[in-house]
Amino acid sequence: MGTATGIIKALNSGIKHIAIKRFTLRYPEEKLKFVGDGYQFDPSTGVGIAGLKGRHMLFHDHCTGCQLCSIACEGVAEAIAMVKVPDQQTQNKKSIMPQIDYGKCVFCGLCVDACPFYALYMTNDYELSSFSKEGLIYTPAQLAVKPYVTQDSEIKITDRGATHG
Amino acid sequence: MTAELPPGLALQKVDERIMTLNVGPQHPGSGHMRIIVQIDGDYIVACDPDPGYVHRGEEKMAEYRNYITNIPHLERPVIHDSCNILYPYVLGVEELLGIEVPERAKYIRVIASELNRCIYTMYWLAIYGIFLGHSTMFMWPAGDRELLIDLMEKMSGARVTHAHFVPGGVRNDLPPNFEDVCLRQVNYFEKRIKEYAAIFYDNPILIARTEKTGILSRQDAIRLGTTGSVLRASGVDYDLRKKEPYDVYDELDFQTNVLKEGDSYARSKVPWLDMMESCRIIRHALEKMPKSGSVRVKLKPNPKGGDDSVYKRVESGRGSLGCYIVSDKKPEPYRVKLSVGSFRNLIALPYLLKGEKLGNMPSVYWSLNYWPVEADR
Ligand code: SF4
Ligand code: SF4
Repeated sequence: MGTATGIIKALNSGIKHIAIKRFTLRYPEEKLKFVGDGYQFDPSTGVGIAGLKGRHMLFHDHCTGCQLCSIACEGVAEAIAMVKVPDQQTQNKKSIMPQIDYGKCVFCGLCVDACPFYALYMTNDYELSSFSKEGLIYTPAQLAVKPYVTQDSEIKITDRGATHG
Repeated sequence: MTAELPPGLALQKVDERIMTLNVGPQHPGSGHMRIIVQIDGDYIVACDPDPGYVHRGEEKMAEYRNYITNIPHLERPVIHDSCNILYPYVLGVEELLGIEVPERAKYIRVIASELNRCIYTMYWLAIYGIFLGHSTMFMWPAGDRELLIDLMEKMSGARVTHAHFVPGGVRNDLPPNFEDVCLRQVNYFEKRIKEYAAIFYDNPILIARTEKTGILSRQDAIRLGTTGSVLRASGVDYDLRKKEPYDVYDELDFQTNVLKEGDSYARSKVPWLDMMESCRIIRHALEKMPKSGSVRVKLKPNPKGGDDSVYKRVESGRGSLGCYIVSDKKPEPYRVKLSVGSFRNLIALPYLLKGEKLGNMPSVYWSLNYWPVEADR
């Protein structure tokens, strides 16, 4: 192949892309859709359920304050601290629950794997930025709130290329 | 001047014609490493790669964590290829603890590892494009990589650093409908990377810049101990997926790509051909995978190994990646040693750059498939 034909071919390949749809995800306006409601773990079978590993969610009525999640995280990021909570739960004699510092958490989900009482899951919420370090520390009360997320953009493949739509 | 020098230091005689140039460690192209080159006019007379700026002590850290909590930090050295860097560790721990992995988990691991190989190679290709001043070749791979990152995120819940492999299988089963989505996106991905031929690999400008630069002969490639795509570009047919099949690679149908030239062009082409092979492996694995079944065997909390050691290696995006684990009946390993492809390929750099033009340095350097963070561990 001659040099001129090669260059023309290369240019042509680029020019053809003008007609192809844009693949870019316009992030704050569009958000990617994820499978399921976040990563969960079933201790009875020992297998997780696929989902995004985002911000955690704590179920106060399941948590027994057994500290297993905090022990699991000690080897990873030391992001979990057990703190006293004011509300009285019958199954939680010591009234302690995990508090997670997202400045340290690496979103590995090993704490979810460690919880034997179905009390700790992960959710689809990944927008955790904050102006202060304190804002990244989520108390048990904050972790109990189910996040409100609107995510609906998916990869679509058409004859004119792939898009997010 | 004859001032006394402190012991251990010596003055180097400087040739008038030779200039010493530091490329990196803050250079966007070199990554976190420094290449000290000595140039005579436009030609390189000597080159001394200086890695070690991002040493993280992964191996030492592994001695203080148990076999499970080692997973998140051990995959950090190559976040784009995190499944492959965990693979030998997980295989080794399985042998130490005597775990038999379910069949379906093996297939999922192969698919995840091939997806990761493509994700890494696309990132590498994007940087290679920008190294050669080809900004389209930066944009396209960076965009098309998203197709596979999306698949990995559906599978494992994280876009990079998946922490998906564990001793005993994988963390979670595939989400519903994953097979169809995976097949569709991998097919489209394959179609896309084939389009790179016209704009990049058959482009006369690229060929003129990379062909016959930095030639590594077959003998040198073996003698210097290079691995992966560098070795295969020099005409040595050596791929661990074929030579020492792990998990289910021996049941899958694929071939290795070997080129004879050993120049930068061949070294940049082998990973691209490998990606097409990866697409075939993924399709075949999706077809052969058992449709249901367990994906993880339940381990005791804090599993302990015996008085034993094990060495496992896999083929990563950068070549052979080995992991040597010594256990001494404690929940923590006594020693974890990683032998990474990047570091072994870097040895070839001084040989390749001698006599080259300075302008060819980026293309030769990056064609070695080098990842600074992995080399430093
Ligand atoms: S996800 Fe990982 S790092 Fe984050 S709190 Fe849980 S165990 Fe710790
Ligand atoms: S979240 Fe789970 S593991 Fe953590 S203290 Fe509560 S019950 Fe125990």
